[in-house]
Amino acid sequence: MSTNVLICDDSGFARKQMSKALPEGWDIEISFATNGQEAITAIEEGKANIMFLDLTMPVMDGYQVLEQIKKCDLPSMVIVVSGDIQPEAVDRVKKMGALDFIKKPIDREKTKQVLAAYGIYSD
Amino acid sequence: MDTNDLKLEEDYIDCFQEIANVAMGRAADLLARILEVFIILPIPNVNLLEASELKMALSAIDENEQVSAVCQGFIGGGLSGEALLIFNDTSFTDIAKLNKNKAIKEADESLELEILMDTSNILIGACLKGIAEQLDINFSQGHPTVLGRHVNISDLVKNNDQRWKKTLAIEINYTIENHNVNCDLLLLFTEDSLKMLKEKANYLLS
Repeated sequence: MSTNVLICDDSGFARKQMSKALPEGWDIEISFATNGQEAITAIEEGKANIMFLDLTMPVMDGYQVLEQIKKCDLPSMVIVVSGDIQPEAVDRVKKMGALDFIKKPIDREKTKQVLAAYGIYSD
Repeated sequence: MDTNDLKLEEDYIDCFQEIANVAMGRAADLLARILEVFIILPIPNVNLLEASELKMALSAIDENEQVSAVCQGFIGGGLSGEALLIFNDTSFTDIAKLNKNKAIKEADESLELEILMDTSNILIGACLKGIAEQLDINFSQGHPTVLGRHVNISDLVKNNDQRWKKTLAIEINYTIENHNVNCDLLLLFTEDSLKMLKEKANYLLS
């Protein structure tokens, strides 16, 4: 069965960069969300086994998404992908339940490493 | 302009916004480490505008507030423009407290100037470097100049009206969490830079 991957970012350019950075041989169904609210809906629809989540977004930001996931025990493993690389931002999201943090701009190698580290995908 | 062109412009703006997002994150990281604070990052505001509209573009700064500003030119890779750091004057007291090595006296003009220059140096430098790296170019930076001190935004823009025509403006507002520090970093690219910026964006988008 293929894995459902959600990419949540308000920037179309960033969503495209993220989807290009995913490993080629990975059997996945990709969905997209442009803000946190859409992401929550997608998780509830089962579209986000794995989610790549941006932090700075309108409507509902990444921190709020993490809060909601924790509060309602929603089924999604979150990898935060953000340009906010302050150590405290990384700390905060990890404490809030994010699996890991990848710095923007996203690159294929780093994505692969993180996915492998958590046994999500390795070739 | 038909809808296709418009869609295209939106894509470029989105691309520039994301590049600015990454660059401002690096600049904030640097300042956060130096001051040992957490900086709240906004979504960068990207606009194509006329110089006369510049004041309106400065959405994060209240017209009645007193500000001080530094500007610094940059050029490289077919791009050129000016970076402005606009400081809300009420920020100085709090940012001085954060500079632990510096003696704090009330209303110390030379200390204020030092803070203004230091902060702009960090934020402008790191942000420009972040943009240049993503576009795979190098910027040379000019000498920073104080654009105005304890003035309001209208006067600041009015005094410098002739410097800008049509421009791509990227506005980034930095706020330090739990401190009364607020500044606006404005990157203004010249009209001539637009073609090269779009070329670079096309490359990144492809």
